[in-house]
Amino acid sequence: MAESQLLIPLHVSYIKSLGESKDELAYHTTAHLRMNAIYWGLTALCIMGHKDALDREEMIDFVMSCWDDEAGAFGAHPDHDAHILSTLSAIQILITHDALDRVDVDRVAKFILSLQQPSGVFAGDPWGEIDTRFSYIAVNALSLLGRLSELDVEKTVAYFRQCRNFDGGFGATAGAESHSTQVFVCVAALAILDRLDEVDSDALGWWLCERQLPNGGLNGRPEKLEDVCYSFWVLSSLSILNKITWIDAEKLTKFILSAQDPEQGGIADRPGDMVDVFHTQFGVAALSLLGYPGLVDLDPVYCMPADIIERMGLRKGWKALDRRSV
Amino acid sequence: MAIEEEQSILFAERPEWADVTPLAQYENINPVAPIFYTNEYKDAADYFRGIVNAGEMSPRVLELTEKIIRMNPAHYSAWQYRYKTLMALKSPLDVELHLMDEIAVKYLKTYQVWHHRRLIVTQTRNPGPELAFIAKSLQADTKNYHTWSYRQWILAYFNDDELWDAELPFVEEMLENDLRNNSAWHHRFFVVFQAGVRKGDEDRDEVIRRELGFVKQSISVAPNNASAWNYLRGILDHNGTPYSDLQTFVNPYSVPHTLEETAEGVVDLENPLPSKESHLPAVAAIEFMADIYEKEGGDSLMKATELWKSLANEHDTIRKKYWEYRIREACQKVTT
Repeated sequence: MAESQLLIPLHVSYIKSLGESKDELAYHTTAHLRMNAIYWGLTALCIMGHKDALDREEMIDFVMSCWDDEAGAFGAHPDHDAHILSTLSAIQILITHDALDRVDVDRVAKFILSLQQPSGVFAGDPWGEIDTRFSYIAVNALSLLGRLSELDVEKTVAYFRQCRNFDGGFGATAGAESHSTQVFVCVAALAILDRLDEVDSDALGWWLCERQLPNGGLNGRPEKLEDVCYSFWVLSSLSILNKITWIDAEKLTKFILSAQDPEQGGIADRPGDMVDVFHTQFGVAALSLLGYPGLVDLDPVYCMPADIIERMGLRKGWKALDRRSV
Repeated sequence: MAIEEEQSILFAERPEWADVTPLAQYENINPVAPIFYTNEYKDAADYFRGIVNAGEMSPRVLELTEKIIRMNPAHYSAWQYRYKTLMALKSPLDVELHLMDEIAVKYLKTYQVWHHRRLIVTQTRNPGPELAFIAKSLQADTKNYHTWSYRQWILAYFNDDELWDAELPFVEEMLENDLRNNSAWHHRFFVVFQAGVRKGDEDRDEVIRRELGFVKQSISVAPNNASAWNYLRGILDHNGTPYSDLQTFVNPYSVPHTLEETAEGVVDLENPLPSKESHLPAVAAIEFMADIYEKEGGDSLMKATELWKSLANEHDTIRKKYWEYRIREACQKVTT
């Protein structure tokens, strides 16, 4: 039976239970994602209005235990090498808990800036994997830390320009196929940098709304399957381009709700599959942008609670659907 | 001894590892995210931390990192340290690539697998076999994003004419296997229009003609293939060709099947007709015709509006709000 409501109490208890996973090996082999997972869980809880469901002090302690003092940034787990992915998640968690004062901002900014390559793209860590995701993370993190002025904006924007494709979309690296996730990171980064002039808004807006399939779900590129997480990547991009109305909200809402697990809680990539915290967060985030009643506003550029971003003076000109009362 | 045979023997139980001090994972008190290990992974991870702490770079480190990677291909520290060790030992990199071939096929969707290959091929400077490996792994997962972008990186990085020349036949084969492979269409555009002008392709008009012929043929076989229509638009946009040039070709796709199609007659190679089994009208064709009329302006705006209305109300209702936006925009053009 299709769910017609967001089962908030169930999802809250699902997220709370993540620390007590029974599947030991799988839990361990995702250690490299631990910081990200905590950020996804925390943000989902905030949007559902249950920020306090996980202990604040414990979370802050865990984040600080991931500090890599050699690199001057955060790893995904204690004793893991620093990486740009976990560094952003750490900053986002601390800001959400109003604990940014625990961070050595100078060192973190230095670590991030050191990862920019000659082409303008950012690497994830000294190992050198490059991706526009990392460029977005760098821009996002520097912005949250109040250090955006230290970034070479022209150089950064030049690489996004190289990743713009004939269909108006963006890829992960120069020459790579347009993909919804990469569209999000490029568009959101350009929004932070006030360089949305680099986006062909009409062409890209159309490409994005073409992601919606007859079942209401969204895919990542033409002729691929729908997945709940694309609800967020696509919707947030459209809201930044002020074209969120181009998606059939009712159908997408139904699709996301149908991917819930009505027994254990959590949301999966599509109906019937195993849930995980990643899809739970992005399903809830998408519903917030769609104006689902009872949820807290989310800032699509930073993927954090909107009021926090607003208080920091970082709000950009995006537009979500109005929050419905029922 | 093959890796598989050793899987059940912990490093802690092997005398040749006795000189290494394993370091247990740091555990916070009451951690928010506690870790429960299986013995085997814990053992390998403990010894990895011991090796890293000692700064050891030896053949047994390669054995250890391979074991970790096989259990957890996303463990980027293990990959990183493995690469450093390979460089320090001056290990034969073609052997490494061959070993990685098996792991890559198993863990295709992991970023690290491809980045490791990228680092290695930057050292070997031998991209030919890599392209062959990519082609093989694409058989298993035809749309793998990492695989395709790795291929694009190799072509651009080495910029070897021989490699580029072999791409069009490769892409055509991929498209022959699956006309709806968006990655292949994207790669075709990359190879034909974004990689400079190569010997034999200096006549750009001829290239455009060839590409238009190819995509039109593809559309006639499968008119409801978004990738092909996007490719068509891409050719026209990139080269500044007006959409109206394609009006004769596109029009039959924007209406239901007609008797004209089934009549015997001269086949117009320039304007192949929709295949009999296809579902018409094709939404993309209606969109295309509307764009032509919109560009014409004047009285044609009415025709564009009618087509957008048919999309909003009948053929593409899920994007009703988008089509209504197009109608509004066109109306505004009339009044300004």
